[in-house]
Amino acid sequence: MTGAFDPEAAHPITGLDEVVHQRVRLGVLAITHEARRVEFGYLRTQLDLTAGNLSKHLSVLEAAALIEIEKGYEGRRGRTWITLTPAGTASLADEIARLKQLIARVETSDIPEDR
Amino acid sequence: MTADPLPAYGEPRRLLSDVHALARRVRLDQRLTWVTLLVLAVVTYLGIWFDVHFMSVHCAADHVCRFSRQGVLYYWPPALLLAYAAIAYSYIRVARARGLGARVMPYAITGAVTTLLFTAAWVAERIYLAGRALADNPQPSPPWVLFIDRLIGPWGMIGIALLVLARLERNFALFAFTAGYLAVVLVPINFGWVGNGGNTRMYWVPGQVISATVLLLGAAGFAMARRRRR
Repeated sequence: MTGAFDPEAAHPITGLDEVVHQRVRLGVLAITHEARRVEFGYLRTQLDLTAGNLSKHLSVLEAAALIEIEKGYEGRRGRTWITLTPAGTASLADEIARLKQLIARVETSDIPEDR
Repeated sequence: MTADPLPAYGEPRRLLSDVHALARRVRLDQRLTWVTLLVLAVVTYLGIWFDVHFMSVHCAADHVCRFSRQGVLYYWPPALLLAYAAIAYSYIRVARARGLGARVMPYAITGAVTTLLFTAAWVAERIYLAGRALADNPQPSPPWVLFIDRLIGPWGMIGIALLVLARLERNFALFAFTAGYLAVVLVPINFGWVGNGGNTRMYWVPGQVISATVLLLGAAGFAMARRRRR
């Protein structure tokens, strides 16, 4: 068995990673991937979260080694920068691929969407 | 955004749509297109003076002139390298202030490479033409030679580098603008100012004025679009 994602072999939902498959954490990964490097305040604004709530999600992602958090100062102002690890980039790509597969399944399946 | 997990079937589409919307917002916040075009417009306007002032023109009695655009060769390489450095610095600084990383370095590197390419081509052309008699260089040159000449010049190279920036930023508006700009640069425009003697210095001025003005209008357009979006 390989790690490759085979849409015919298993339903894509069985391979979803709960760490990534969560709206806020997926948003953090998407923004960080696009930005290369993102500041805590930008994430908080874009995701419309409280600092505490965002911190919790960042801790989950950091514990899973999907992001790196770097704290520092610019002048007298503390700033926290988040970058994606290679594992984070891979997880995001995998999650997006699975989401696309799920959408394709729903569209081709006879099962009504709102069941 | 909420913190709800999303296992439901109806949600993947919304999740994917959210991911794309967030990525797009980041790209918009990273852009500084109007500054890029403004810097390039200023550099192009200044280059006109250098081209006219430092051009060496020697006309024979039969109105055949030998000219050398030394101003282009001495002004543009350092000016473009400085311009790309300034653009990269502005991008990084503004993105950082907005809380983001910047994706400008490949553009700055492309700009530097195209600058070196244009410089090497112009130096090679000068060396090639230096030892030849005027009769060996029939005028007008074939259209494809003129096309390559315009493309390899600093004005064409600016457009090539802008295409890279448009690709990096996935900026369709910049891509469309650059395609228009390149069309203007690659089409010979001289308003009939083709002349001998003193007018030789002015031969390339209209094209450069038009290139710089297109860049300036582009800068104004992108700045207004950005202000409207905010």
